[in-house]
Amino acid sequence: MASLILSPAEQDYIIRGVESGFRADGRGSLDRREVSLRTGMISQANGSARCRIGNLGVGTDVLVGVKAEVNSWTPGEPEDLGSIVCNVECSPSAAQEFEGRGAEEINVELTQLLDRILNGPQSGLDLKKLCIIPKQAYWVLHIDALVLDVKGSIVDTLVWATRAALMSTSLPRVVVETIGDEMGNMQAEFDVVDDPEDLTPLEGAENLPISVTFSQIGKRYVVDASEQEEVVTQAKLTVAVSPVMEICAIQKGGMFRGFPPSLLAEILEIAQRIAREELTRFDVHYAQAKSHLSSQADEPSTGSTFLVQF
Amino acid sequence: MSLNIADRRRINGPQRSVEPVYTTKAADPFATGRLDERALDQVRPIFIKTGPLDAQSLSAAAPSGSAYYEQGKIRVSCAIYGPRQGRKSNARMGSFDCDFKYAPFSCSWKRSHIKTSDEKEIALMLENSVAPAIRLEAYPKASIDAFVTVIESDGKAATIAAAINCISAALADAGIELYDSVAACSMALHGEQWVSDCSQAEENASTCSLLVARMPSADEITYLLQHGKTTPEQTQQAIQTCANDCTRVYAVICRYLQATLE
Repeated sequence: MASLILSPAEQDYIIRGVESGFRADGRGSLDRREVSLRTGMISQANGSARCRIGNLGVGTDVLVGVKAEVNSWTPGEPEDLGSIVCNVECSPSAAQEFEGRGAEEINVELTQLLDRILNGPQSGLDLKKLCIIPKQAYWVLHIDALVLDVKGSIVDTLVWATRAALMSTSLPRVVVETIGDEMGNMQAEFDVVDDPEDLTPLEGAENLPISVTFSQIGKRYVVDASEQEEVVTQAKLTVAVSPVMEICAIQKGGMFRGFPPSLLAEILEIAQRIAREELTRFDVHYAQAKSHLSSQADEPSTGSTFLVQF
Repeated sequence: MSLNIADRRRINGPQRSVEPVYTTKAADPFATGRLDERALDQVRPIFIKTGPLDAQSLSAAAPSGSAYYEQGKIRVSCAIYGPRQGRKSNARMGSFDCDFKYAPFSCSWKRSHIKTSDEKEIALMLENSVAPAIRLEAYPKASIDAFVTVIESDGKAATIAAAINCISAALADAGIELYDSVAACSMALHGEQWVSDCSQAEENASTCSLLVARMPSADEITYLLQHGKTTPEQTQQAIQTCANDCTRVYAVICRYLQATLE
């Protein structure tokens, strides 16, 4: 994903800087950039969030929408669980190489990574609560992410935005009735309440993990790599940590180098500390986003609420 | 549909059908030791053969190197084409591309002929694991392509590990310059116990799976994938144990490659 071309001198400058603990934009090797988070801007979706990670109003921008759909059960599927389907797409507006089929590889990589974090008990979501009637009907949550701009650190922004979107997701209330037919068999039937005000929030979304990506540059590593730093990154490690400090997923990226085991052990230890700080930071931003949304509830919603103050 | 007017010409079945009830549940694969009587830290026996895809005549279409790899019931084959002309004519370093496909009959359900996104993702995983070992700077403007086919699969993480080992053997057979062979191994967490090299039944019964690929001489971990939830101490302990298993697999690959030279 190297659309940025750096001269050998610039690359050397970044590598030696990181090895001495300095970064091109003045951050320390473990410092992360500013975050802008907004939720609920897509009225047709059950939950949505937009997250931008970057300084000075420019950064990696990801928009996530969550849509819930009722699916009929088919034999072979788990009998009492709902399911989650992820899809990540990098928009051609983010980088020139994403035009046409250029984004196919990275779309697959990000989709599978998100799926690995969310599908299963490691996500913290209670999939049993998404079941409406066992062996008959269940909720499917379609999580669609659109990457609008890329300035380094896509995975972390994606997971932030997905976490915010799922935390702000609310499903319509479902009324389940058991009625008997003429044979005397009890059949369960459900009805989705159509009232847009009658919603139940998604349970377990606050247990979702947050991800921290470590980029190995030279002999040291940095967190939240910028676009220039990603060009010289030789290997990456993404660690997803849940609020109870459990490791939910680890994936190595980058094809130029491997990690020495001592560096790996150091990274895994630091990942917990950084994840704890990130989760606190997330809660602050999410609360701000929610209060911003409720303060705007009386204003007529126009297209400009999407762009302004972001 | 409950018509009182029944079809009198035929013998009607019941209006509502219910799927049959099976009284026996699938046995817990860890109930009394492992199903194939291995120790918990024992890797399945490995068989490697390089060069099965060499053409009898030196045709230009033949692969430069190939390998067939078996680990327990897992069967993987790999063909290496290259170094051949790459896509970019101004590239300083060679490129390494992997193509991964499950044969339609390789898993317990029929797989599609069209490549699915998880096969595409596994191809990226294989590239990330093996590319650090290849001296790509020795092959400017060229590309080295690996085509991996899984003939039989038994455990997702274990099959990916087998594919990595197979590519390593095939690259050595192709004479590509390597820093080291990459050896990979997988583990799964069952309760509190990490079990090495799990089969599909054992993986289904586990809560977390871990895949580690390692270059033992360079002492670098070239790939790490954890799927599932663990505590950080469990992960650290598992990575160490898995890295040791990788070294054992590496010894098997090296011994085989040495034997082919004699």
